[in-house]
Amino acid sequence: MSEFPVSFTLEYPYTRTPGPVIGPFLTALRDGRILGIRCGGRVLCPPMEFDPDTGETLRPDFVEVGPSGRVESWTWIAEPTRKHPFQEPFAFALVKLDGADTAMAHAVKAAGPEAMSTGMRVTAQFREERAGAVSDVYFVPEDDARDQAIQPGEGEVEITTHLISLTYEGMLHPHNARYAQGLLDGKFIGQRSPVSGKVAIPSRGYDAIACVMLTPADDVELPPTGTVASYTVITPIKYRGQTETESYISATIFLDGSDQSLPMQDIRDIPLDEFRVGMRVRAIFKPPAERNIDAVGNDWMYPTVGDVLERWEPTGEPDVPVEELPETM
Amino acid sequence: MAEDIAIVAFAQTPSYRSYGDSEASMIMGVVNQIFGDVEIDRYEIDFTIAGSCDYLLGLPFSFIANVDGYGAWPPIYESHVEMDGAWALFEAFVRLQCGDIDSALVVGSGKSSSGVPREIFPLQTDPYVSAPLGLDPVSVAGLQARALLEAGKATERDFAEVVSRSRRDGLSNPHAQVAKDVSVETLLKEPYYASPLRRHDLPPISDVAAAMLIVRGQRARELCEKPVWIRGIDHRIESHHLGLRDLTDSPSSRIAARHLGLDGGSLDVAELCVRYSPEEIVLRQALELGDGTKINPSGGPLCGHPVMATGLTRVIEVARRIRNGEAGRGLGHAASGPALQHNLLCILEGDA
Repeated sequence: MSEFPVSFTLEYPYTRTPGPVIGPFLTALRDGRILGIRCGGRVLCPPMEFDPDTGETLRPDFVEVGPSGRVESWTWIAEPTRKHPFQEPFAFALVKLDGADTAMAHAVKAAGPEAMSTGMRVTAQFREERAGAVSDVYFVPEDDARDQAIQPGEGEVEITTHLISLTYEGMLHPHNARYAQGLLDGKFIGQRSPVSGKVAIPSRGYDAIACVMLTPADDVELPPTGTVASYTVITPIKYRGQTETESYISATIFLDGSDQSLPMQDIRDIPLDEFRVGMRVRAIFKPPAERNIDAVGNDWMYPTVGDVLERWEPTGEPDVPVEELPETM
Repeated sequence: MAEDIAIVAFAQTPSYRSYGDSEASMIMGVVNQIFGDVEIDRYEIDFTIAGSCDYLLGLPFSFIANVDGYGAWPPIYESHVEMDGAWALFEAFVRLQCGDIDSALVVGSGKSSSGVPREIFPLQTDPYVSAPLGLDPVSVAGLQARALLEAGKATERDFAEVVSRSRRDGLSNPHAQVAKDVSVETLLKEPYYASPLRRHDLPPISDVAAAMLIVRGQRARELCEKPVWIRGIDHRIESHHLGLRDLTDSPSSRIAARHLGLDGGSLDVAELCVRYSPEEIVLRQALELGDGTKINPSGGPLCGHPVMATGLTRVIEVARRIRNGEAGRGLGHAASGPALQHNLLCILEGDA
C-alpha cells in the first residue's frame, strides 16, 4: 500500500505590547544600550515589572548596565536549531553584566568551545539591523569586541513582533492513507463500525462511540452519489491569502450509505435558487492526473476530499425528505 | 475529612519513537486496557481529565480530538490541562477530595515525533527575553550542567553514571524506547552535544499515552486487591527568569517535599523526571534521597520521554512497584519548564 508523507508549517504571527518596563529595555537595545531596573538594593537585568520576592510593582527606575560582563555558566551549541540566534556553532551563556546583580541568558559568538570559560569577560555587540528585540544584541569575548557607533532610532518601541513558525512531518495514518489512495483512484473509502454498523467517511480509524479500533477489514467503498444535508453561501471578504472573488455554495453531503456527511463541499455549477437540502447529487472526479490529495492530513477536525473533484452535479432524482436523512454521528 | 484516594488501575503504551496512528487511538488503547482490568463501567466514572499539548502535534484542538480516546457519548464530565498528565492527576486528586464524587480517569499523552521539540519548547519561556532567542530545554540543561560542575556539586562522570545506570535499568522495562548496557568509560568518550552534555545525557523523542484510574475510599478496595494510596501531592514553581534561579538546586522540590512530609518514613523507590542526566544530581541533593531509595528502576525519562506523560508515567512506575510488592512507599516526581523550573511530588503507599 502507498505511504503518504505529510508535512506542514504552523504559524502564529504574534504582535505584543511590551509594557512599561520591557518597552524601555527594548528601546534601549535598539539604541545600543542595555538597561536593568532597580529592585531594592539590587539591579535586575533583564528588567522585570515586579519585585520577584514580594510581587510589588517596581518603579521604572532604570540603570544602564554593561556593555561588558562575566560569564556565569555556558554551553556550547554544536548543532544550532533554526530558531537560535546563530546558525553556526555558538554558546549560550548566563551573562552577569557590569552593574547588574542577575545574569541574563544570551548568545555568545566565539571561535569555539576552547574560547569559552566560566568567569570570562564578554562584551555586547549590536546587530546592524535592529528591531527593538532581545535578538538585537549578542555577546563576544571582550578581546574580540569592536567599537560600534549606534545611531539611536526614533520614538519608543511600543510593539514587538514574534513570528512563531513550526514545521511538522510525518505520515498519513494508515486509514487516512487508504482514504487518500481511494480519492486518487476516484473512489470514496470509508469505514463501517462492526459494533454500530454506522459508516463514517473520512473515518477516524476507530468508532468513537463504542471506543473500538477499526481495521482494513472494516473499509467500505461508497458510491459517488449522495444527498445534500445542509449548505451555506460563502461571500468572499478580502484578507491576506484570499483567492476567492465570487460567492459560492458550501454544502455538507451524505454519500449514500454513509452516516457522516462530507463537510464543506464547494458547489459552483448549481445555481443558488435551484440548490436545496435533500437534493440528490453526484460527485464528478477530475481526470486521474489532475487529482491532488496534498490537503488530506491526519487532523479529523478539518476533513477534506482534497482537490480531486471536478464538481457536484444534480442527478435529477426526486429529493430525499429531510426526515429520511441519516442521523449524523 | 475526606476519605483516602487510591490508584486502582493504570496502563501505558510502550515509548514509541514514532507511533503511526492518532494520539486518540493511543489513548483508546490504554483506557480500554484499564476498563479490561477493573470491573467498572466507563460511564460510571465521575470525572475525566487529560494532560496534553496541541503544539506537539501542531494540530490546534487536538486535545478535543483526544476526547475520542476515552469515549464521550453520552456526555461525560471532563477537563483538560495543557500540562503533563501528572498535573491532571493533581487536579483529579483535589477534585475527589471535595467528597461528592468517587472516581476519576486521568490521561497523559503526547506525540512529539512529528515536530521539532527544541523549536517548540522555547515557546514555554518568556516571550520577550527568551523565546526570541530560541532558548530551548537542551541548551538550558547545558547551562545547568556547567553550573553544577563549577559549583563542585557534580562531575561529568556523575552525569555518565546516571546515564549508564538508567539505560541499563531500562533493559528490564518493556516500555523503554532506549536501553542498553553501556559503561561510564564508553559514554565519556562520546563528543559533546551541548557541552558539558553529550547526546546520551538527553532523553529520546517519544510518543506515548498513559492512563490511570483513581477512586475514593471503600470503593477502591472493592475494585482491586491492592489499591495504591495517594498520600499527598504538592507542586511548586520557580521564576521564569533564569538569572534569579540557582540552577544547582531545586528549592521548589524541597518546599514540596517539606509540605508532603517526605522525610516521615522510609522511601523505597523514587521515580524522578530526569530528562537530562544532571537533573538527577540536583533532585537527589534537594530531596536528600538516601541509599535506601532506589532511583528510577524503570530507567526513567532517559529511556523514554513522552512529553505530557513523562511525569504521569513516573507515578505509574512507582504504583507498579508498590502493587507488585517491590516497594511499600514511593515517590513519583514530575517536572515542567526548563531546568526543573516546576516540580510536582506525589507520595504513594501500599496497605501496611
